[in-house]
Amino acid sequence: MAVSVGEAVSTGPVRDHTPPARRFGGRGRSVLEVALLAVLAVVMLFPVLWMIETSIKENRDVYAIPAKFFDFKVTMDHFKDVFFASGGGRSALSVSFLNSVVVAGVSTVLATVLGVPAAWAYSRFAVKAKKDQLFFILSTRFMPPVVVVIPIFLMYRQVGLIDTKLGLILIYTAFNVPFTIWMMKGFVDEVPAEYEDAAMLDGYTRLQAFWRFTLPLLLPGIAATAVFALIFSWNEFVFAIFLTSSDTVRTAPPAIAGLIGGTTVDWGLVAAASVVFALPVLVFAYLVRKHLVAGVTLGAVRR
Amino acid sequence: MSDPVSLTTEHPGQVASATPPAPGRSSRLSDRWLTVAFTSPALLLLLAMSVFPLLWALYLSFTDYSATRGGPAHFVGFENYTAILTSAQVHQRALTTLIYVVGAVTLQTVLGFAIAYLISRRTHGRGLLTTLFLVPMMLSPVVVGLFWRFMLDAQFGVINSMLGSLGLEQVEWLTRQRTALISLIVVDTWQWTPFIMLIALAGLTAVPKYLYEAAAIDRASEWFRFRTITLPLVWPLLLIAVLFRAIEAFRLFDLVYILTSGGPGVSTETLSFHVYKVAFLGFNTGTASAYGILMVLVVLVLTQLYLRYLNKLKED
Amino acid sequence: MRYPKRVGRLSVPRRTVRLATAAMLVATTMAACGQDDGEKASAPKAPATIPELTKDPLTLSFIWFDWPPAHALETFANAEYAKERSNVTIKVNTVPNANWHDAIFTQFAARKTDFDIPILDSQHIGEAVTNGNILDITDFVKKNIDVKAYNPYLLAAYGQFPQAETGKRDENASLYGLPLLGDTWTMIYRKDLIGDEPPQTWDEMISVAEKCQADNPGVSGLAFHQANGSDAAAVTYNTVNGVYGGNLWDPKTRKIDGVLNDAAGQEAMDVLVNKMKPLTATGSGNWFIDEVNAAVAQGKACIAFNWIAASGGLLDPKQSTLGTTREQILDKLGFATLPSQKTNLVPLGGMGMHVSAYSSEPNQAEALNFMKWFERADIQKKWAAAGGVPSRTDALESPEFLNAGPFNQVYTDSVPRMRDMWNVPEYARLVDIENTNVNAALNGAKKPKDALDDIAKEQQGVLDSSGRKGGGGL
Repeated sequence: MAVSVGEAVSTGPVRDHTPPARRFGGRGRSVLEVALLAVLAVVMLFPVLWMIETSIKENRDVYAIPAKFFDFKVTMDHFKDVFFASGGGRSALSVSFLNSVVVAGVSTVLATVLGVPAAWAYSRFAVKAKKDQLFFILSTRFMPPVVVVIPIFLMYRQVGLIDTKLGLILIYTAFNVPFTIWMMKGFVDEVPAEYEDAAMLDGYTRLQAFWRFTLPLLLPGIAATAVFALIFSWNEFVFAIFLTSSDTVRTAPPAIAGLIGGTTVDWGLVAAASVVFALPVLVFAYLVRKHLVAGVTLGAVRR
Repeated sequence: MSDPVSLTTEHPGQVASATPPAPGRSSRLSDRWLTVAFTSPALLLLLAMSVFPLLWALYLSFTDYSATRGGPAHFVGFENYTAILTSAQVHQRALTTLIYVVGAVTLQTVLGFAIAYLISRRTHGRGLLTTLFLVPMMLSPVVVGLFWRFMLDAQFGVINSMLGSLGLEQVEWLTRQRTALISLIVVDTWQWTPFIMLIALAGLTAVPKYLYEAAAIDRASEWFRFRTITLPLVWPLLLIAVLFRAIEAFRLFDLVYILTSGGPGVSTETLSFHVYKVAFLGFNTGTASAYGILMVLVVLVLTQLYLRYLNKLKED
Repeated sequence: MRYPKRVGRLSVPRRTVRLATAAMLVATTMAACGQDDGEKASAPKAPATIPELTKDPLTLSFIWFDWPPAHALETFANAEYAKERSNVTIKVNTVPNANWHDAIFTQFAARKTDFDIPILDSQHIGEAVTNGNILDITDFVKKNIDVKAYNPYLLAAYGQFPQAETGKRDENASLYGLPLLGDTWTMIYRKDLIGDEPPQTWDEMISVAEKCQADNPGVSGLAFHQANGSDAAAVTYNTVNGVYGGNLWDPKTRKIDGVLNDAAGQEAMDVLVNKMKPLTATGSGNWFIDEVNAAVAQGKACIAFNWIAASGGLLDPKQSTLGTTREQILDKLGFATLPSQKTNLVPLGGMGMHVSAYSSEPNQAEALNFMKWFERADIQKKWAAAGGVPSRTDALESPEFLNAGPFNQVYTDSVPRMRDMWNVPEYARLVDIENTNVNAALNGAKKPKDALDDIAKEQQGVLDSSGRKGGGGL
């Protein structure tokens, strides 16, 4: 039983095949293609580099015209401001980062606990109207957040969940469960059901077979799925801005958005906050790079 | 109703026992139990957090209810729906949304596919290249919106600064009717081209090598090979990606909120943004609900389409 | 889709249907319950005398948008109020400016607030009063506040509903709030570029700006609010409208169409779009408070208009290229009251404090006590010294206030000249209509005349829509 699900499932864009063009196109064309790629890469990455640069510039250099690309003094003050208030103590931003950690973390755990068993059941058993159920599940994930937030708001005010972390956690869980089910169903599909059958012939119950033999094989897939759920909750903005209003509950996206629209805009601080905020996501995304295709299509496409 | 939680939690202990237990009772019965126990918590959550709110919204969409004014909700029949469908304001937003969706998704598809094609032809550094290209997609729309707003600033934005160094005129990226919508499309394209690229790349690398080799023997032209081998094989997958992006773009709210807040005037207000204004400026909850339900219908149709192509892809 | 061929029959669908039915039932009942809570839409009354205050630790919470006065208030109140009420902590919750109205009114809609004292924009009063969200403090004011100590219009603007006629307070009308922070626009001008004497009339101001722009390449003549968010572009138009003798509406007949877009209104729009806008920087069409400040601080504007309470940052050398000390900056920057033309009206800004109807009783009592304390003569002067803008006449004329900032004299001089917008319940929609249309006109997305006519027509539609069935809010 040495099949590693991670390897079995992973495909990603890494599979090799020698580009056939080499033999015909010749050198000139290859150079042209490399140059084109390089230009595109620069265009795509420039905003990110510019963000990082702005975060370490002094404010007077931030506004300099023409823009300063290399010749500026490096400062770490903006990063300090992200975490510490000017008068000392924690900044409101750092509190919002912590809130984001709690909200994203808990909702991901909940979505995983609810979604993985359901995915297994949908994969293994013939459920009536399964296609319809799966369609229903996926379509809840596609609902426009601005539309959903209206009745959710009414519902939350009845039960006192407005401006609470629990409220955010619940709605993020609800948006992550469909994703988890779809993504995990793909992973379960690829673990042969024969393993469980064999285990059951040995006298294990179905549940034991799942728990002892299938689940361990699914762990890499679960990890990848959870990371994507985490990224979604971490980045989410619409629910956060309409369902929360106090500093103690606010997550990072609305807090960062709130950095502009006062009396002065500190773009250095905005950039530093954005860098700090984006860093975990990039690290996580790198960790699950093998499953990106499945991850970004809600598990629908998996090649 | 069964208690799914206890069922799943009490088990680890039993599993630890070394000797396999005696064969269980009817496995069908336990299968049924398991399915109910495993799927119902998730379904219940979705019912509570998605279906129930939407049913509520459906009910409110036939009333003149307002979330702040209180007072009883009067039943107004289909008045909200007819008002929305006949409103010139709504038509304008629908057109804006359509231009945005078509423009952004087309641009992303062309660019994303082009990048994927170029990457697929490289032997070295593909992993690194792919990873780098994917960065924008992982960022929060808040970060993307804020940062592009900074870069597109007409006065001290870096884009105009670079245009200036090239001797070109300053462009009012965010404050002219046409450029503002274009800016929105450009920013969305920047963020989501990697998505199309990623999926196209998955399709391209899956094209069997022997097909190209066969074509090589036939001395087929490169364009011919691309048209007859590559594209047909990648197309179904690409279509899925396009539909997926279309659904996402149709829902767009956050980027508008941050980048232009709908301006200049209302020329970059999308449907989502308009729903927000109806719902939270005047607190016309009834109207906003009807508006939302109509948007949900569009999303459902698109999702249905998406799944159909997805199934087709899987059957092949 | 390929599914593993597994046996097992059960009917989750039937279950789903049942659940859905149940959910629908719950939905209808809950919706029905939800409707009962606001049956009588009038504000509950606060007691005339402050009830006994608690000795237990208590946190008195405010909600405001994120800007320097909010932080100044928290520091000031914690330092001073605690001297009399040591068991009380003051917390000023802040939200992004764009989210200010939404954050307060969504909580009102929830009938549960995490704040005791909402700081409302003056025009939000109507919406809050009609929905019963804030306390009627008429009796409390009669008994505890010396109303003669104020310019009557300030009391009216920050507390009265229905709204006062311009400049006048209705002694019999109910009060729902007290002034917290006064504000108006100041004209900020570059003394080194246009001379020490500020222009006196609007026309003069425009020609001075024109000349300044021509003489100083890279510096634009004017900088003012043009954004389509908050009330930015709307306040700008309203200001010009007032100066050119226009009216926003006729409150008695509730008429906007034909009043706002009369000859004076058209002239104002023409001045704004065709004379003022060409003197602004390229791409300034989405500027609000912070962008105007940045333009001044970067030395890129001859004359700028901004809220006084938001101008403090201009004197900070760290954010300015105009000088390395406050004095150097003040050598270049002058602050003056707005020029006048046909009238001398200036926009009323600032905010009042109110008491949330959904706070607990001890907190409401504490809130009333805080308001009484805050409006005391000595405290108003201290608030002035701490960077706030007071409202009592004695505080406005005190050296504590006038010496605290170069723009404070501007405020004191502007008080008798103020005019506010409508504070009707439909305010949020009215201002959005005006904002988006003025912004469209400023950015060439609409012809000025069309924009003004559209504003008048659409706003009238909102005011008249009370009897309409369905589709409200479009």
